[in-house]
Amino acid sequence: MKLARVVGTVVSTINAPVFDDRTLLLCDLVDPRGAPSGGYLIAVDTVGAGPGETVLLIDEGSSARQILGVKSGPVRTLVVGIVDDVVSGEVEGRPAAPQRTSG
Amino acid sequence: MQLARVVGTVVATVKTPGLEGIRLLVIQPLDRHGRPSGGSVVAADALHTAGPDELVYFVAAREAAEAMPDPFVPVDHAIVGIVDAVATDADGAAGGPA
Repeated sequence: MKLARVVGTVVSTINAPVFDDRTLLLCDLVDPRGAPSGGYLIAVDTVGAGPGETVLLIDEGSSARQILGVKSGPVRTLVVGIVDDVVSGEVEGRPAAPQRTSG
Repeated sequence: MQLARVVGTVVATVKTPGLEGIRLLVIQPLDRHGRPSGGSVVAADALHTAGPDELVYFVAAREAAEAMPDPFVPVDHAIVGIVDAVATDADGAAGGPA
């Protein structure tokens, strides 16, 4: 999954059926500290995320279809969570003191 | 999915059987501010409605074929929606279909 920040909404009335009646959110990809890590994705919202919120994206088709409860369809990127907090520490087996960054 | 602008059409009479009857458009992927980003690609127009210079969004990889009537065709990019507007909060909209 990926961390991202909601920066807008894509409004569309002509689209593949799987997107009917769904909100499309414009999401900047961010690193664990919340800084843009380059790139963005348009994701189908499933949790009611709002602008400026840090969110969790799934970017894989079969998971996306499973979550939406559809058997087929050109969907792979969903907002599946609203992040409250990201606590990141060092890697290499020596966890440093966790640094809390607000979501 | 990402934003793109329709910049052309591809006509190909000799092609892999799975591609018959599929409208092929040249699209220029855009960054979220609406600026060209990376090279152009040829995408299948799943909606048969995208016109020249239209702002669309597309999906890549396996899901592109899922946009086709027959989901087992050699398609790796597909236009899956026409953008009416992109409403952003901070720094201005990417622009609707101009």
